[in-house]
Amino acid sequence: MKIQKNNSYFPLPNSYLNIKAALITAIAAFLLVFNVFPMGYLVFRSFWGENGFTLETFERIYTYALNWNALKNTLLTAGLAMIFGVMIAFPLAWLVGRTDLYGKKFFRTLFVMTYMVPPYVGAMAWLRLLNPRVGTLNVFLANLFGLSENPFNIYTLGGLTWVLTTFYYPYAFITISRAMENMDPSLEEASKISGASPLKTVMTVTFPIMLPSIVAAGLLVFISAASCYGIPSIIGAPGQIDTITTRIIDYVYVGSSDGLNDATALAVSLMIIANIVLYVSTFICGKKQYITVSGKSTRPNIVELGKWRVPVTILVSLFAVVVVIIPFATVAMTSFTVNLGKPLTSANFTTKYWNILLTRPAILKTVKNSLIAASAAATAGIIISCVMAWLLTRTKAKGRHIPDFLITLGSGTPSVVIALALIMTMSGKFGINIYNTLTIMIIAYMIKYLLMGMRTVVSAMSQIHPSLEEAALISGAEWHRGFWDVTLPLIAPSVVAGWFLIFMPSFYELTMSTLLYSTDTKTIGYELYFSQTYNSQQTASAIATGILILVIAVNWLLNKLTKGEFSI
Amino acid sequence: MASITLSNITKFYGKVQVIEKFSGVFNDHEFITLLGPSGCGKTTMLRMIAGFEKPTSGEIKINDEIVSGSGVFVPPNLRGIGMVFQSYAVWPHMNVFDNVAYPLKIQKVSRAEIKKRVENILEAVHLAPFIERMPNELSGGQQQRVALGRALVSNPSVLLLDEPLSNLDAKLREAMRFEIKEIQKNFGITVVYVTHDQTEAMAMSDRIIVFDRGVVQQVDTPMNIYKNPANEFVADFVGKINFINGTAYENFIEFQGGQKMNYNGDKRGSVVVAVRPENILINRERGILKSKILQSYYLGDINDCRVDIDGTIFRVTAPGKTYGGFSNGSEVFLDFDEYLVFQK
Repeated sequence: MKIQKNNSYFPLPNSYLNIKAALITAIAAFLLVFNVFPMGYLVFRSFWGENGFTLETFERIYTYALNWNALKNTLLTAGLAMIFGVMIAFPLAWLVGRTDLYGKKFFRTLFVMTYMVPPYVGAMAWLRLLNPRVGTLNVFLANLFGLSENPFNIYTLGGLTWVLTTFYYPYAFITISRAMENMDPSLEEASKISGASPLKTVMTVTFPIMLPSIVAAGLLVFISAASCYGIPSIIGAPGQIDTITTRIIDYVYVGSSDGLNDATALAVSLMIIANIVLYVSTFICGKKQYITVSGKSTRPNIVELGKWRVPVTILVSLFAVVVVIIPFATVAMTSFTVNLGKPLTSANFTTKYWNILLTRPAILKTVKNSLIAASAAATAGIIISCVMAWLLTRTKAKGRHIPDFLITLGSGTPSVVIALALIMTMSGKFGINIYNTLTIMIIAYMIKYLLMGMRTVVSAMSQIHPSLEEAALISGAEWHRGFWDVTLPLIAPSVVAGWFLIFMPSFYELTMSTLLYSTDTKTIGYELYFSQTYNSQQTASAIATGILILVIAVNWLLNKLTKGEFSI
Repeated sequence: MASITLSNITKFYGKVQVIEKFSGVFNDHEFITLLGPSGCGKTTMLRMIAGFEKPTSGEIKINDEIVSGSGVFVPPNLRGIGMVFQSYAVWPHMNVFDNVAYPLKIQKVSRAEIKKRVENILEAVHLAPFIERMPNELSGGQQQRVALGRALVSNPSVLLLDEPLSNLDAKLREAMRFEIKEIQKNFGITVVYVTHDQTEAMAMSDRIIVFDRGVVQQVDTPMNIYKNPANEFVADFVGKINFINGTAYENFIEFQGGQKMNYNGDKRGSVVVAVRPENILINRERGILKSKILQSYYLGDINDCRVDIDGTIFRVTAPGKTYGGFSNGSEVFLDFDEYLVFQK
């Protein structure tokens, strides 16, 4: 008698073993075709000339000063954003997570929510605030201190670094906060009982234990800032500051074969940097980032700030006002302003741009396109996420880590690289032609944002003890009935949250949409960018404010639906 | 009516053998306990009976019907078994009623019938007032009863319990022991119970199976396991016991250190003598083994003493009433009322 080897929690009939293999194969095949192959082709093409392997393309593009400067600008601004981001995020995470700061919950929500706001909204706001001639904050500060000229100029490397920092520090904040929540409080208590002061404890116990997470958080900020297109395209263009991403998109817009070749080489440079960073950060800190579960299991010990409580709260509030509230308010106010050169008075107030947003067919079409594409990406993505969660946490099926690895890799690839790779390979050259369709966008969104959904569902699933499912089985339920009655209701909040984690960034996505759109498939992100750059800042601001409202509404809804267990 | 027959069961995880060939019959209405330290294979054995694990070889029959082996594998949902999990596995999104009613819903029992049977079972596990509660509104002990109710509601002929009391506090644990035993009697059900707590095993079982590292050490009634353990491991694992090395001769045993004791058993050569604390008589004036009190704690009902016999430390519990306290370092004499001799 031959005994079927079966390590799973569900001793399923043999046919189900094949289902596992089939599922793994299907997901892996999808990723191979739309992720691995396009990226591979990109690399191949950048290193392959008429006479075989060559570095000619790289030599050519980097001898061109514009590209070389773009590379330097990218590394410099992303590097600085990383350093400043962590310097802001660590103390904030500690204050919000581990002290008796006033309004901790509010601050936490505020900083985490920034994470879900498209970065280009920040660029638009700071453009208005720190324009060297008419920036409102500039003028205000000059008047306040009686300066002869405006103190800041947003169209500089410093300006770019500032905006990148203010919009990417939440990535570090979330990563570090989570690590702090997961840290066993007794480690700190042991330090205190040994006689260390609270500050000494932070420096000798908390910080060193958190170091891997802090490094990972910093690298996440670095790679996000380096891959960012929205901010440098809006701030860099007027200041003639190029980054790798803006150069790539410029080359693609040129449209010639040479242009595409050069874009390819630049994209491969960015991809290599990103993959090195991804490798280092997963190596150091595992795959813990991206999950945004706010359920707390451990009760952290709270440090009393004492006489510092009020001053520190004021400092954090000031930070929140400058970095979060003023920019968002500026964008909202811009959408109601007639003449941007003048302050918003009742004479200068209009709802015209909101009317445009809500009635102009061209804009409504982009909203519809974005809704369809983002919903499709989120729905397909969450189905894959659930299947992956099942494979990863409930089976020991061979090869289940292959799709997991590919999904992580895809997410770590800069958006501009994904889009370029899809253009190069999915335009009919290799038998698939989905260029100029919504499908190509849906696929791009899935490759970029699938990981967020997957990690959410996987973490929920791994928190459900297998005995809950076994109890259903022993009660007489078939495994699928048990899944339906027990597992699904328990992971449902995470599935909903995961869906929105894919939906939201896809909905307002800019970078990939900029490269992949056609006249019929313009998205809201692209429409906003186009308005901002060429058309009307007010319309762009109205769109941005609409997106902000949506982000807040979704956050509120999620909180409500999941009874506070989840927020974005 | 349910008996469980296990024939030549083995289980490997990869190359690691977790169960070495085991055969046995659990009779109808019998309370069987699988006892052993963690990692001994007892839970694996239980999960094979439930159908969550497949034996690598061998055959399992429930009521003369093969459920595993000979090319047959009946999945857990078709085995008609009740089971209580160590973590209770009470579904957090269902209230007490829905949790307990679940097996009946699967069987498509009519709504009225479900209501009646769930109410009856909740009465039996003393949960009737909590029928509408959610699990997070229940104490650990109450959740335990929900799990028990759910396992019993469809009148299974076999009930499996996987360390069900290990997460409860000491007092509740003792109370639940009696309750589970009571329920077993009332329902006339065959129970297989897994625990690492020998007191639990002793209190409830008809027979105990002692496991160590995947190998069955002894299958016997609680009294025999305690009084006639098959080997040193069983003697040590079940109850408190002292060991002293010695050499057995035709009429006596010479202990390590040179003192001697009369012996007329059949062991010869290197032996280990095992004595339970309560079988040692302690005397200030005379006795067979001269020894020294190291520590003595007067606990009221007993004196809990640590005694040094030429370098071997013994634990002795002398009745508190008779002896009062002992001073540390004082000389005493020990007699063994009952003892076991194992060949080395």
